[in-house]
Amino acid sequence: MTAGDGARGTRDSSARGNPRGATEARARPRGGQAVGIDLGTSNSVVAVIDKDGAPRILTTPEGSTTMPSLVWFSPDGPVVGELARAGLDYSPDLTIFGAKRLLGRRFDHPEIRRLSRVLPFELVEAPNGDTWIALSAGRSVSPEEVCALILREIRHIAEDHYGEPVTRAVITIPAWYDAAQRQATKDAAQIAGLTVVRLLSEPTAASLGHGAHRGADRRYLVCDLGGGTFDVAAVDVQAGIFEVLATTGDAFLGGDDVDRAVVDNLIRDVRSARGFDITSDTIAVERLRLAAQNTKHELSDVAVSKVYVPELVQLPSGRAVEYQKPMRRDELEQWSSSLIRRIEAPIREALRRCGRKREDIEEVLLVGGMTRMPVVRREIARVTGREPHVIPNPEEVVAVGAALEVARLEGAIEGVLLIDVAARGLAVSLGGDCEQVIAQSSVVPTREHRVFGTRHDDQLRIEFDVWEGESPDPAQNRLLSRYAVLDLPPAPAGDVLVLVEMTIDTDGTVRLGASELVSGERLQLEQLYHAGLARTDVLRLQRQFAETP
Amino acid sequence: MASTRTLHVRCATWEQVEVFHTRKLRRGKLLSMKVPFRADPGSEVTLNLELPNQVVIVVEGVVLKASSIEADARAKADAGKTWLEVELVGFTDEVIARIRRMAAGGDPAEEVFPSPPSAPRTRTTGTLLALSGEDLPADERALFQQLTAELRRLRSVAVHEVLGVDRDADADQIRIGWMNLVRRHHPDLVARRNAPAITHLAEEITILVNRAYDRLRVALVAEGRAASVGPALTPPPGWLVGFEDISSTGSIKSAKVAQTLQNGGNAPQVEPLPPPRPSSAPEGGEAFELRARAMLSDGDAANAQEVLAAALCVYPRSRPLRSLYYVASAISALAKGEVMLATSQLETALAHHEHCTEAAEILELLRRPNAPPASDEMTRLFR
Ligand SMILES: Nc1ncnc2c1ncn2[C@@H]1O[C@H](COP(=O)(O)OP(=O)(O)OP(=O)(O)O)[C@@H](O)[C@H]1O
Ligand SMILES: [Mg+2]
Repeated sequence: MTAGDGARGTRDSSARGNPRGATEARARPRGGQAVGIDLGTSNSVVAVIDKDGAPRILTTPEGSTTMPSLVWFSPDGPVVGELARAGLDYSPDLTIFGAKRLLGRRFDHPEIRRLSRVLPFELVEAPNGDTWIALSAGRSVSPEEVCALILREIRHIAEDHYGEPVTRAVITIPAWYDAAQRQATKDAAQIAGLTVVRLLSEPTAASLGHGAHRGADRRYLVCDLGGGTFDVAAVDVQAGIFEVLATTGDAFLGGDDVDRAVVDNLIRDVRSARGFDITSDTIAVERLRLAAQNTKHELSDVAVSKVYVPELVQLPSGRAVEYQKPMRRDELEQWSSSLIRRIEAPIREALRRCGRKREDIEEVLLVGGMTRMPVVRREIARVTGREPHVIPNPEEVVAVGAALEVARLEGAIEGVLLIDVAARGLAVSLGGDCEQVIAQSSVVPTREHRVFGTRHDDQLRIEFDVWEGESPDPAQNRLLSRYAVLDLPPAPAGDVLVLVEMTIDTDGTVRLGASELVSGERLQLEQLYHAGLARTDVLRLQRQFAETP
Repeated sequence: MASTRTLHVRCATWEQVEVFHTRKLRRGKLLSMKVPFRADPGSEVTLNLELPNQVVIVVEGVVLKASSIEADARAKADAGKTWLEVELVGFTDEVIARIRRMAAGGDPAEEVFPSPPSAPRTRTTGTLLALSGEDLPADERALFQQLTAELRRLRSVAVHEVLGVDRDADADQIRIGWMNLVRRHHPDLVARRNAPAITHLAEEITILVNRAYDRLRVALVAEGRAASVGPALTPPPGWLVGFEDISSTGSIKSAKVAQTLQNGGNAPQVEPLPPPRPSSAPEGGEAFELRARAMLSDGDAANAQEVLAAALCVYPRSRPLRSLYYVASAISALAKGEVMLATSQLETALAHHEHCTEAAEILELLRRPNAPPASDEMTRLFR
């Protein structure tokens, strides 16, 4: 009940009227400030709402509004953000980028398999099947810890701004994040010493960050293409009510993939032009990737540029070999065309889910650094049939939305309400097929129930699995957790009926309760399996993080 | 498993709490109970005492005596059960005073928090008491009571009534009805100003409102009366069962609706539903109840029990169905001569629903000296 943690005792006498303007922030209910954080695959951004109600993006010590989501496990300890770029150059195997894509993911996921072949650092399987990152000397870290290091850095930036402790945050997440990924994000925040007031989906945050300033009532389609993920949301804004009708996306589509496609082509070019293969030289590949990314950015503004790596490899003689190749925008577009094609499906799916035709959309919002690429804009324009709205700060608007959400939940902004739907359905199974319990697109919070009967005489417990997804086939869904209902009264088969109630609350968290159907007596539920870090590990890491500066 | 065993006692009314305390407990602390497990003297047990406001009080206790009940032909149901005598060490004056305060404060929280999945085995004493509304300041307390009453009401009415619209309301009316309620009760809006207990009630109300909206909009699309209302939703099978006004009217039309829904909404169009019926069915499921009563009047208690168990799957919160289930089970028990079991089932029936007149009458019959109730005396009650 994150909402319940909110502002106790700050009573507001002013009427709702002022839907979009922010009234002055009142005294904080508890010690510590709260901030809005966009924890991105490539860049993280932190924003606050100033006393006058205006959103403010905080800057890193280097003066930038975005901080690279990079952690370099240097010999002197972890280095985070801009300074960690140095690590990319010299020890790419210890410099972790894109940890967000690994959060809450099982190691046997096909996309993780694919990533593990191309990433410069090594992925390993944790004992519970999660994906972890192997560092040198047999040490491995969870993606939660890596994200916690980033979040802690952000917390420090915010504390420098406020001059007092920052203890709470709204953190944005991709819309399609499942429960395990949500939990992993919360765990990362807890390790970093932050309580998550709410997890907010990125496109929703973008519409809040965009719409709340302008006060425009529209039917929006938000397309957020960032470093690692593509998110789409259909959001209706009317009189301060943000109604999310559908959220879809592609978990493994982003700028990183484009960079990799370019690098693959460049490696081939190195081989044919220079005659050597750098595929297994992680340092060379990483340098090529950084140069290619730079060139990609330049090609958003100009039609021709070049890839330049001053020191690609060192020959046995010790001489450094530089690499230089002119690159045209159309080449870039051709190399990334198979990725660009994947933009269409999530947009169509979002429209289908909200029962809209593309003409019904009134504005298409572009969010995320990758939407600066002309071909991305063209493709979105083609699929949606309208010229998208280009906002000046596509990398920052998500964080602004998160900060507004903080203000909204704490009562500093009146009259704004956010209504969301379940991005995925919930199903249960008793060893066989999955049976749908909560349908996708149900308005949250919501609750449904299922009844299980005992199958043999004197059965003392019933075990069942909870899945996320819509398919009757368990293999198509994602296993959330396994539960056991304990201490059933002994009785003939089928005589004991267990009522299991599932609730999805406002931020997508799933809760369960069990009772005996006829008597209504509560039964004990034990969780036998769940993904992610164990509670004890989170607490241990949290202590550990608090001790080391 | 060596964990502490838990006993459950549920009191549906404050009088029953009083009776539990003054009569059921000897010397204010000793409880005798028949339980379905074995326990050794000296071992610990806890008692979950559920109060009429559904607040559960957890009381620690120690087993003083345990004697297993011999299985004989007459009391087969009791085979393997044990009589326990438990000293409720945790039933302190302070706890009693708390219960008194709650009893005096009317009827707070309808429901307790389900235990969070991450901490399935935690004790719930403190948090539950905090939800009773007893510790709230006066102004919030009024709101608390108002929301409790509202939640009660919404739980007992048909879906269109939840949204405050007519039974044949169109898409716009349904949306407006839903939106108005959400705007008033959404937990986000309530949370920042109020105690967790109130936020909890607001969330419960919002859940009911959202469910009603989802079902009505799905029905509307299935009936072909709207192309889409809000985000498209594929209802799980049997979703609309339990929403009396949509699917259990027994009319052909609603059967068609159900059929349409099963087909994923692609079936042929169905004519609009008939105009609203006068609302009845306070807790839903009266069709089931009628069937069960008919069976009971035919002396077929076993099948009535089945029907009622099935009905409870659909209406898990219906007190009349629950109590009738216990009455049916008591009649079955009586047929086998298990008087003790029958008595306790009838008492349970009354505990779930104090207006269960049949239970009261059969109990009367049982108290009649030397003349066990004849089966026609019982079947007559249901005619
Ligand atoms: N001018 C530009 N032209 C093309 N691509 C750009 C430009 N600027 C940034 N990018 C790309 O945008 C991506 C980063 O975008 P952004 O910061 O929005 O992502 P993120 O929020 O970190 O990721 P995500 O939202 O997927 O978690 C990178 O792949 C970067 O190369
Ligand atoms: Mg982003």
